[in-house]
Amino acid sequence: MNERQGLSPEAHRFLDGEAAGDIGPEDRRAADQFEQAVQSYASGLETPDSAVDRVVMAAVRAEARGARRQSVWQWLVSPHLFSVRPALVAAAAVALIVFGRVLIDVPGVGIGDRPTGAEAQATILVRFELRAPEAQRVSIAGSFNEWSPEGVELVRNATTGLWTATVPLHPGEHEYLFVIDGSQWIPDPNAHAQVDDGFGQANSVIVVGPRGVVRS
Amino acid sequence: MGSQSDAVLVRRILAGQVELYQVLVERYRAEFGRYATAMLGGDADDAADALQEAFIRAYRSLASCREPERFKAWLFRIVSNQCHNTRRGRRGHLRLDTIEDPPDDSTERQLEANEIGRTIQAALDDLTPEQREAFVLKHIEGYSYADMAVLLEVGEDALKMRVHRARDELQRKLEGLR
Repeated sequence: MNERQGLSPEAHRFLDGEAAGDIGPEDRRAADQFEQAVQSYASGLETPDSAVDRVVMAAVRAEARGARRQSVWQWLVSPHLFSVRPALVAAAAVALIVFGRVLIDVPGVGIGDRPTGAEAQATILVRFELRAPEAQRVSIAGSFNEWSPEGVELVRNATTGLWTATVPLHPGEHEYLFVIDGSQWIPDPNAHAQVDDGFGQANSVIVVGPRGVVRS
Repeated sequence: MGSQSDAVLVRRILAGQVELYQVLVERYRAEFGRYATAMLGGDADDAADALQEAFIRAYRSLASCREPERFKAWLFRIVSNQCHNTRRGRRGHLRLDTIEDPPDDSTERQLEANEIGRTIQAALDDLTPEQREAFVLKHIEGYSYADMAVLLEVGEDALKMRVHRARDELQRKLEGLR
């Protein structure tokens, strides 16, 4: 090996983990010394500690809070176009009068009162189904189970190929996807709404009211 | 929670669970932190700054990560770019004093290890950015050429060439010590 030319081809192959053939003792010694020197250097490198996590997460939380405030504010100050049918206005007025009368007639409950804790915590059983005869496993992941694909497994009807699951959900809006065989995420073809998931794909949306699924 | 794949975590973070970003930060802090330290002349403080900036930039543009399954490679490009920017920002005053002088009672072996460390650090700083990156991934992080090709989107033969040239350069500097 010429000491001014670096390592020999055999030493490079040895360091690459390839079969170096009949590598001579001098080349082998050079490769070993090189490896030891680099390992000595690497073991002395300091790496950033968990202080990095704290700084990053403080910035992330601040960004998230700012984004939420901006989102609400932008919605409030931006113009919105509503198209309203006269018949719906009349129906809403009638509903308001009737609903108002019901609330007023109930002792201790007035218009504008929030639902009680029990009402807010109530769950509605919602049935999900997907026709996927070729699938070996289907689960559902969504905002209601922290997007865990292991959370809710669907059960297959061997005759029809229909996968179903009944899930208790709190009233509110939930986004979800079906997960086929643990890797393929697809929206619900029967969902009555889909929203952009930020990746150019869609999440399915279900809206649950106090008495059942609200159809849009 | 720690076993969740990168793709699932990215989806959940974008769905509003921002606290899960910490799982990704913890998952890649050590590996990319060592890379950043080596790329920035052994300066752990500069590496921490670069890494923080990269993680924050990655969070801000998380929605543009089109293939969440390849989040690691996507994040690596951001960390790599941040390291290059940090080096450019301090060009002309690269610090070569980050390996501290040993105490007076150091053994001869410690002194020699320290000298080797300084030499390798100086040699790394003299490499091209591409050679330095390839060498650090191969010899400091222990990547295979196949994994490096996926991460850097460069062919294995080209990466091997970069590593060989980097090794030769380092070897020449190390020979000067002997």
